[in-house]
Amino acid sequence: MTQRLKNHVTKLPNGFQISVVPLTGFNQVYGVAMANFGSVDTLQNNKQLPAGIAHFIEHKLFAKPGYDISEKFAKFGANSNAYTSYTKTAYLFQTLEKPYENLKVLLDLIQNPHFTANNVASERGIIDQEIQMYLDMPEFVLEQKILAQLYPNDPIAEDIAGSSESLQQINHKNLLETYQNNYRPDNMDLVIVGDVDFEKIENIVQNSNFQKNGAPVQKALNQFEKIGAGGQEFMDITQARSAYGIRIDSDLSGYELVRHQFMMNMVMETLIGESSPNYQEMSDLKIIDDSFSYNVVAENNYCFIIISGSTNNSEQFQEYLHDHLSYESLVKVLSDEKFERIKRDAIGAYLFAQNSPEAIANQMAELNFYDVDYLQLVEMINSIQKDDLLEVSKKFLKDDNSTYYNLLPNRK
Amino acid sequence: MKQTLAKNVFLNINPIKKFRTIKIQVDFLRPLKKDETTGRRLLANVLSNSTQNYPSFQAINDREMDLYGSEINVYTRNLLNFNDLAFSVEFADPSFLIGSQTQIKDNLDLLGEIIFKPNLKGSNFDETAFSTEKRNLMSNLMSIQDNQDLVSALGLIKLIYKNDPDRQVPIFGDIDQLEHITGEQLLDIYQDVIANDAVIINVVGNVDQDKFLEDIKQSIFGQALKGDRNDLQITFSNFDDLVKQPASETEHKHLNQSRIGLAYETSLSKGVNRLAPQIMNLILGGDDQSQLFLQVREKNSLAYSVSSSYQPLSHLVTIQAGLDANSIDKALHLINEQIAYIKEGKVTDEQIRHAQKVMLTQRKISSDTIQHYIMRGIWETVYPKTLLNDEQFEQELNDLDRAHIAGVAENMHAIAQYQLIGD
Repeated sequence: MTQRLKNHVTKLPNGFQISVVPLTGFNQVYGVAMANFGSVDTLQNNKQLPAGIAHFIEHKLFAKPGYDISEKFAKFGANSNAYTSYTKTAYLFQTLEKPYENLKVLLDLIQNPHFTANNVASERGIIDQEIQMYLDMPEFVLEQKILAQLYPNDPIAEDIAGSSESLQQINHKNLLETYQNNYRPDNMDLVIVGDVDFEKIENIVQNSNFQKNGAPVQKALNQFEKIGAGGQEFMDITQARSAYGIRIDSDLSGYELVRHQFMMNMVMETLIGESSPNYQEMSDLKIIDDSFSYNVVAENNYCFIIISGSTNNSEQFQEYLHDHLSYESLVKVLSDEKFERIKRDAIGAYLFAQNSPEAIANQMAELNFYDVDYLQLVEMINSIQKDDLLEVSKKFLKDDNSTYYNLLPNRK
Repeated sequence: MKQTLAKNVFLNINPIKKFRTIKIQVDFLRPLKKDETTGRRLLANVLSNSTQNYPSFQAINDREMDLYGSEINVYTRNLLNFNDLAFSVEFADPSFLIGSQTQIKDNLDLLGEIIFKPNLKGSNFDETAFSTEKRNLMSNLMSIQDNQDLVSALGLIKLIYKNDPDRQVPIFGDIDQLEHITGEQLLDIYQDVIANDAVIINVVGNVDQDKFLEDIKQSIFGQALKGDRNDLQITFSNFDDLVKQPASETEHKHLNQSRIGLAYETSLSKGVNRLAPQIMNLILGGDDQSQLFLQVREKNSLAYSVSSSYQPLSHLVTIQAGLDANSIDKALHLINEQIAYIKEGKVTDEQIRHAQKVMLTQRKISSDTIQHYIMRGIWETVYPKTLLNDEQFEQELNDLDRAHIAGVAENMHAIAQYQLIGD
């Protein structure tokens, strides 16, 4: 019989939150430990850190004295991996067997750094190749460029991995200090999805003796400069690509920020989603192709929307979006019927994600930092009313908070 | 439940309850033909653009949203020596929704509409749908040139299949062919597909089998799939000429990173352990414990990405890496050293145990996805002899030894090398 998801949650005295989600019928156990620390967190305790340091820690935390911890995961039958985003770093494993042993390895991974001058030097070459790889991807380059317009001179406009130059400023000393400041139990959480015993998980974590290292780090909220006027450049590409960006400066946090993100997504779906008249018109006018998409990001004090795609006419692409992303346009198309559809679509997307232990674990781990229970998302979606969308659109669809960037093919 | 609805029209229903969604996939199969590849891909896009009753992209998307975000997918892919034109709909299981008793039938009808009720104006495809999708596909094909990993992969495939013209056109089409396709030609292709291709329908998820069978027979599927269809003849490519004279090509582009792609044919003699090539591949470059990862990336810091993969049906091993142009010779040398390491039987017991464990884990974890059951249904219908049951799989895995693995490497013959040099 189909069963709805449940979770067991506890917060240890040291501030480390543990969530376990039993998932009937699935073979795997998936675990993720997440730090509320990402690429934008480069101003700490009044010190400026080199770009890419969060990502470098993610790579190098796998190194232990004389071995790489992925070997231990492999020994216990698990795949392991990690990723860094603008505001989070996550370490994960996926296994069929020995979930408790693998959990101990995961805890060892996040709690015991082994940074040396030698192992840091050898990692630079690997990360530099990763940076070069992304620089050949126009979609990636465009994202960096539009972020640099939205947030001039801000760390969010840097590659998450840093640059060849910033890698040179990263050493085993600043890695360790940054690690100690950010990998604290009260700045991290753990989610395990699968057939495991919650009490056993809790005991293992408690016995791991996860220590706080000193006082909490003083993270300064990055101060944003005025939005850039937009720009374009030529690149060795075949197809032009354009991005339109909207920055929303907001004091919202926690549950309200996540709810706001859902509402902005619904507004954008109504205005330029595949079922919108605007999408059809842009397609008919040959301004966009099927690579057209938008992404709404709301993380800590960053809140922005990037709309992008290949285009044969960058100028018209930008003009169209500028003219049609408005409260007035929304009023015209947001009927009761449309609103009901958009809500249904959001509920469906939530159910689709529940087919994936990975999606459940990662979303839950991230939402914990915003005091949002992943299992209550349907209630959150249902709490949103049509008037909320109209109200919210008035605040973020304005004339003075958008910008653009175009990547154009070099003329041969 | 397995049913044959007509000659070469198969229906498989797997009423598994572990997922939150239900998926219906309908695959239309025929042998790959270079002159049809681009047309079939364009057809996939035009059919998913709009239909008779949902005559615009907007209308079809509205319908998907009404059904709690159903996901329609229409695409072509290579499957053995066949071109597979696949239509699928995945949707929320109604037992998780309130008041959606017709959810399964509604989605079946939507999929049927997309396949069998195209958006025609007179005796041609609707001009907006045709021209929009032709332009979209053209744009996608041009964009491929900006994806260097794909450029490199396609460069290697072109060399591997240099003697097989039907595989020379990539499955997503070719710009020159696309330019010349007319609406009339596309309609001919469509009518041919609907009348003659072999069809496999797979349904996976929480459905009542008898009720679903009844629904599908009463639906447009029951009407449209009554006739007999063409047989599928399985054939395999032959790489003997390339073994004698390997193909190679080097291209230069203004890039930050260079890419290399290598291909090897592994001749598998009868009676040899069927999992040996996959185990060999895992040890060579299949994961982060492999020789390529540890020696080329971790020890020598030459590449961020370096890996190998094995294609069981064509018996090909391919290796791909992204690296600095100056490091290519050193990397090629290191790659050859890792192959020699396996050939010379230096693989450790621990490496073998690890690879066996990974194989078993991958098999079981893949069964946590709905697509695993769809693919299994397709293979059981088209090529059942390639499938091992759990018992056979574990038996063959346990029977593996170092000699089997060295034997695979011993019989690996380089057949192609592609280099994309960034300068």
